[in-house]
Amino acid sequence: MRRAPLLALLVLSTLAARGQDRLTLDGAVDLRWVHASGETSFQNGGLGITRFDPDHDGLELGRALLAPNLRITDIVSLQGVFDTYGDHNRNPADVSEFYLDIRPFPWNSVRWRARLGAFYMPVSLENRGVGWSEVYSITPSALNSWIGEEFRTIGAEVEGRWLGASHGYLGDFALVGAIYGWNDPAGALLAERGFALSDRPSTLFGYLGSPPLDFYHEIDHRPGYYGGLSWRHHDRLEVRALRYDNRGDPAAENAAGNYAWHTRFTSLGARLEPDAHWTFIAQDLDGNTAVGSDNEGEEQFYLKMRAAFALASFEWARERLTARYDGFHTHQLSGEFGPRNQDGHAWTFAFSHELGEDWQLVAEWLKVASSFPPRLLLGIAADQTQTQFQLAVRYNFDLRW
Amino acid sequence: MKVALLALTSATCITFALLCGTPQCSAAALSVTLLDRDGHGVEDAVVTVTPVGARIAVPAVKSAVMDQRDRAFVPRVLAIGVGSRVEFPNNDSVSHQVYSFSPAKRFQLPLYKGEVHPPVTFEQAGLVVLGCNIHDTMVGYIYVSASPYFGTTDAGGVLALKDLPKGDYRVAVWSPYIADPAASLDRAVHLEADAAASERVVLQLPLRARPEPRPRRRDWDY
Repeated sequence: MRRAPLLALLVLSTLAARGQDRLTLDGAVDLRWVHASGETSFQNGGLGITRFDPDHDGLELGRALLAPNLRITDIVSLQGVFDTYGDHNRNPADVSEFYLDIRPFPWNSVRWRARLGAFYMPVSLENRGVGWSEVYSITPSALNSWIGEEFRTIGAEVEGRWLGASHGYLGDFALVGAIYGWNDPAGALLAERGFALSDRPSTLFGYLGSPPLDFYHEIDHRPGYYGGLSWRHHDRLEVRALRYDNRGDPAAENAAGNYAWHTRFTSLGARLEPDAHWTFIAQDLDGNTAVGSDNEGEEQFYLKMRAAFALASFEWARERLTARYDGFHTHQLSGEFGPRNQDGHAWTFAFSHELGEDWQLVAEWLKVASSFPPRLLLGIAADQTQTQFQLAVRYNFDLRW
Repeated sequence: MKVALLALTSATCITFALLCGTPQCSAAALSVTLLDRDGHGVEDAVVTVTPVGARIAVPAVKSAVMDQRDRAFVPRVLAIGVGSRVEFPNNDSVSHQVYSFSPAKRFQLPLYKGEVHPPVTFEQAGLVVLGCNIHDTMVGYIYVSASPYFGTTDAGGVLALKDLPKGDYRVAVWSPYIADPAASLDRAVHLEADAAASERVVLQLPLRARPEPRPRRRDWDY
C-alpha cells in the first residue's frame, strides 16, 4: 500500500502532458447469441471441441475486456489486458497480459524492442485485434486456439528489427528471442482433449475447461525459450517462423500435483494482403509434448501434434467475408491413458459488418468433425461432428488522455 | 512621345513576362515525363535537374509540411531544397513518434499529437527516410535537393520546370517504388535560352507495389 502514492504520482506526472496519449484505455464488450449442436463442450465436462454446446447456448457473454496502457517515458510503456468471459472461472475477472514494453528510438538500421512481463508469443497471424482478439472471424483456428489456451510468455523477450526502408528495401526483417518460466503445464490440455476451436483463452490466474486446468506454474525451475524470425514486406506480406521449447523436465511435479510437460514445436506462417481487399493466411505447427518420469522410455507419455489452417478473407466498405479450413492431428507414441490420437478438420465461415466507428456485428458458422478414442470412455462414439453458429454484437471504445 | 515610349516599354515587359514568367528572359523550360513499362505516367516521383559544369545556385529556403493522417505520412514523398524547414504536424487520432536515422538528417520527435515540435531544418542534400517508432508500417520520404530545380511528378508522370539558365544538366528521377537502378535513369540534357525542352524517362522494370494501408484503427502489433 505504501507504493500507492508513488504510483499515483507516476500516473499524474505522465499525464501532465495532456492530450498526448500518455494514458490510453481500450475496451470491448462482445455479446453473443449462440446455437450449437453435437456433444458436450470441454468447457462443461465433455470432450466436445467447440466453446459452446447445446446445453450452453443462447445468449452468452463472448468477452469483456479493458486494456490500459500507461506511457511511463517516451520509450517505455506499461500494458495490461484484463478480461472476463462469464464462465466458471476461478476469478470473475482476470489478467491476460501485463508487461513493460520498451522501444528505444532506432539510431541505426536496427530497432530494438523488449517486453518484460506476461504476454503472448509472436506466433499467430490472425489474432491481431485488441487483447489478442481474432479479427477475421470470432473463433481462431485450432492452432491459435491452442496457443491462446495453454501459452503465455512470463519472462523477457527481445526483438531486433532491421528496418529496410532506410536502405531502399520495402521490408523489415526481425529476429526475436525470449526466456520465460511459469508455463510448465503447457501441453496438459492438448493431451486431455486434443485441439479445439475456441475463442476462450486462458487467463494468468484462472482455470480453463472442466475438469479445470491452469497453466501458469513453475515446476521444474528450468527456464524455457523461443526464437523466431519475421519478414515483413510493406504492409502486404508477413512471414513468421518460431521455434518453441519450454525445456520442461517431464519428471518434475509440484505439491499440488501439477506436472511439468516438455512441450516443443515449430510454427511457420505467412499472411499475404495483395491489395486493399484480400487477405490470405496459412500457418502450420508441428511439435510434441512429453510427461512422466521414465525419460523417453515406453512408460513416458509422449504425444506428437500437428495443426495447420488456410484462411481467405475479403473486405470491402464496412463488410468482411472469411472462409477458413483447419486440419489437426495428435498421435500418442507411448505411455498410458491412450490412445489419445485425434484427427479432425473444420470449416469456418464468418461475415462481419461495421456499424459506425464503434459497433460491429459478426456472424460465424463453424463445423468441426473429429475422431478421438477417449470419447468411448464417456459412452459416446469416437467420431463426432459439431456445429456452432454465433451472432456477436461487439462494442469497442478507446479513451485517451 | 515620352508617354508612348513608356507605354511601349510596359507592353514589351508585359509580353516578356507572359512569355517567360520572369524578367530573366534567357531562361529555358524543361518538361520531364516519367513512364512505366506500359506507358503510364508515374506519380509522386522526385525529379532533380542539376547544372553540370556550372555553379549550382542555392535553392530558396522554403517551408514545407509533412503531415500524419490515418497512420501514414502525407505526402508519402516530399521534395524540398537544401536548407528548407519542414513542419511535422500530427493530425491523426493517435500519437506518433517520428524519427530518421538517415545520414542526411538524424532526428527524433518525441511522442506527440497536434503541432508540438518546431520545424526541422534539412541542411544536407540526400534522402531522409522517416519512420514512426510506434507504428512500424509508417514510412515517409523527404528528398532534399542540392539543386534549386526539382519537383515531384503529377498524376500523368509530368514535372514542368521553368526559369532554368541555359546550359548542360543532369536529370535524375527517384521514387521508393522504382526498381530500376538509379544510374540507368539519369539523362543529360542541354537547354538553350528561350527554348522549351522535354525529356522522357521510361522504366524498364515493373514498379514495386505501393502500400495500400487499410483502416485498422484498433489493430495491435501482436
